[in-house]
Amino acid sequence: METFDIVVIGAGPGGYPAAIRAAQLGASVALVEKEQLGGTCLNWGCIPTKAMIAAADLFDHIKHAGQFGIEVKGAAINYAGIVAHKNKVVQQLRGGIGSLLTGNSVKQFTSAASFFDRNTLEVAGTRIGAKKIIIATGSTSIVPGFLPKSPHIVESREFLELEKLPATMIVMGGGYIGCELACMAAQLGVTVTIVELLEDILLLLDADVRREVRIHMEKNLGITIRTGKPLEKSEAEAAEMVLVAVGRKPVTDELRLENASVKTNKNGFIPVDDFGRTNVANIYAIGDVTGQTQLAHNATSQGIIAAENAAGAKPGKFESLVPGVIFTSPEVALVGLTEDEAKKQGRAVKTGKFRLGGLGRAIAVAQANGFVKWIADAETDQLLGAAVVGAHATELIAEATLAIRSELTAAELGRTVHAHPTFSESWMEAAHALHGTCVHTAPKRRP
Amino acid sequence: MANPIIMPKFDQMTEESAIVEWRKKEGDKVAKGDILFTVETDKSVMECESFCDGTLLKILVQPGVNVPVASTVGFVGNPDEALPAVEAPKKAEPVATSQLVKTPTAAPPPPVARATVPVAGRFKISPRARVLAENAVIDPSKITGSGPNGRVVEKDVRDYLAGKGYDKLRVSPAAKNLAAKEKVDLLAVQPGEGGRIAVADVECALAERPKVMSKMRQVIGQRLTQSVVTQPHFFVTVSVDMTDLIAYRNQFKVAGAPFTVTDFISQAVVLTLKEFPDVNSSTDGKSVRWNSRVNLGVAVSLEQGLVVPVIRHADDLTLAEINAAAKTLAEKARAGKLAPDEMTGSTFTISNMGMLNVENFTAIINTGEAAILAVASTLPQPAVRDGKVVVRQVMKMTLASDHRIVDGALAAKFINAIKAKLEDIELWKRLTS
Repeated sequence: METFDIVVIGAGPGGYPAAIRAAQLGASVALVEKEQLGGTCLNWGCIPTKAMIAAADLFDHIKHAGQFGIEVKGAAINYAGIVAHKNKVVQQLRGGIGSLLTGNSVKQFTSAASFFDRNTLEVAGTRIGAKKIIIATGSTSIVPGFLPKSPHIVESREFLELEKLPATMIVMGGGYIGCELACMAAQLGVTVTIVELLEDILLLLDADVRREVRIHMEKNLGITIRTGKPLEKSEAEAAEMVLVAVGRKPVTDELRLENASVKTNKNGFIPVDDFGRTNVANIYAIGDVTGQTQLAHNATSQGIIAAENAAGAKPGKFESLVPGVIFTSPEVALVGLTEDEAKKQGRAVKTGKFRLGGLGRAIAVAQANGFVKWIADAETDQLLGAAVVGAHATELIAEATLAIRSELTAAELGRTVHAHPTFSESWMEAAHALHGTCVHTAPKRRP
Repeated sequence: MANPIIMPKFDQMTEESAIVEWRKKEGDKVAKGDILFTVETDKSVMECESFCDGTLLKILVQPGVNVPVASTVGFVGNPDEALPAVEAPKKAEPVATSQLVKTPTAAPPPPVARATVPVAGRFKISPRARVLAENAVIDPSKITGSGPNGRVVEKDVRDYLAGKGYDKLRVSPAAKNLAAKEKVDLLAVQPGEGGRIAVADVECALAERPKVMSKMRQVIGQRLTQSVVTQPHFFVTVSVDMTDLIAYRNQFKVAGAPFTVTDFISQAVVLTLKEFPDVNSSTDGKSVRWNSRVNLGVAVSLEQGLVVPVIRHADDLTLAEINAAAKTLAEKARAGKLAPDEMTGSTFTISNMGMLNVENFTAIINTGEAAILAVASTLPQPAVRDGKVVVRQVMKMTLASDHRIVDGALAAKFINAIKAKLEDIELWKRLTS
């Protein structure tokens, strides 16, 4: 029986970096993947949606090119072309991962994996031994049982593989996946209705941030948003298409975890401690399958840390500060505590906001909607959280993440020189605003 | 005329009390019967109502300050009324501990060591030196001054910082602000991973700061220390076979009479105390008092400490009455609603850890009593019956006795008499028929 120091199950954004880091540390590593390298993120999630959202954005820019004095006539969508672009992107990145794995001498198995015992896996009809195992099998869309099986009821993965878009669609679920795809479809000309059971869409955001996105989605993209009521079965059946985005469940069905006595919680996720360890000493789990924040970059960070721990490096803990990025139109990003969360901790909280409408660069490029917002401790001035809604939000959040992780204060951030004219200046302005000293905001009351 | 608010006296023994929390602010309207503030007494937190309508004009006593009972702590009246010229009551002075054994006394909180930057000014320091120390977020009182009369000057602070390697200290900006706000000496903070002082490290230093214990804990500590110091304890343990009693009690349970095992133990103890009056007594070392009644204390553990509600005249009560009294008192204790006289005057105490899965333990005598019975969990144990090893439900109990009153032989007889009763099902049949 072939035996490895570390076997990683799942080659998504958590699994393949784990395999590479373990190999970098000198371990003999195998990586088992039943479908495609890159997992949901690369094949059916982050990357393909971004390729298609880029096309939708570009089309949107072209439609509004007139304001820059550029006349474009005859711009039209060739959806097959967009899909071809997406496929090319995915192909290229998949190839990249393959060569990285080969370069690091990671042995690849294309097969499902199941536990025989805590040190043995059944893979492609044979058994392989493993001193340590990292479970990185990810998650998959939940489709509620009341919905009929039908080609017009799709979840995100199926939606991305459509050959043509419908004229109208209902998006079931106003979380970030539902909203991203709703915005993309609307920009490509689909009449979209979002149906959310809870009282608002994107409830992970503060109310002011939520409102900004929602107004844009309703007013400028023409999306109908219905909240507080469930989607009826009859509505689903009557719709031309229903995109189901109500949440994701762990992928563990084929693992036969019971053979290794790995415990799962009531929702089927595999709970782990801060070091990525399951209840079984030599078995780790990372990413979506653990039921923690379901984001690719969180899985990557956890995968690398778990691989280092499994390879015998000085044990490290998972990072707790994980930025969230949402590719709606406009984009949204957040990191750290929201204003609500900070207040719930019983802190005195100060916020500083700066609207992109006051920023030279944003006006010059006609992307002046939205704002950035700092959330700080009123007593120590510590930056606790940040949110940004507007153009480039998903890039802008990096500065906030670094500042919060470094425990910077609003005063320090405000003193940091930011290049002009850039969108990043908004962070500095908002930090000034937090102390009531923003230069580019009119004072509330004139003396 | 504004009405004074008086610190109430909750029982004969309370000399002083501290307000835990004002429920109203100065300027708030109050109606007769509204809760004005809560008070921590030796044993519990009590709510204090307003006796008149009006506006809370003035708060004289802030929470946490011990003042003598009957002091004026504030005023209620009409908003435009002038206040009588009254000074805030003085902090209570430490009261000399009474020599009478049965009198618990409130004590002032002990001086608390402070891991903080003390208020500058008590020692001599130049203004420039003080600003330098404040900006560095360090405790300047640790610095030896070279100026006249040991005054700390700027150079002393600079030398001190250099000597301590302050310039090598790496501190996150937020951590520095937090330390300044909470007056934590940065040089006393243990840096975390990577050698950089982060917010979490300052929070660790804060968490380790000595805190004043609740009055309840202070009193528990004081009384138990008094007991251990003045009452020479010794311990006698027996194993009780509870198998039959549990089976008998389960019959009642099925029939709807929910006697607890503790009820049976209480009843057995009360009966035995009547046979051994020496154990139902108290001494100050010179004289001994035999108590004619049995007031049975039953220790109840709460989240914030321990109280001992007392079943009065337990020797007059049937098993059902003991059950009812114990239940009422335990519920009141958990709700924090025990009246002061429901927590005093016990003549013997039972401490039951049966539900906490312990093999055996010893208890400390409730000050002024002669003994305490510690009841452990009932656990299945191998036992020999008719020459065969069988599994029986066995409960260990340990009597702690004050050797000034109770000798070993007496303790052994006493605890064995309790054991005999618990194992005698015929007795319980008679008592419950």
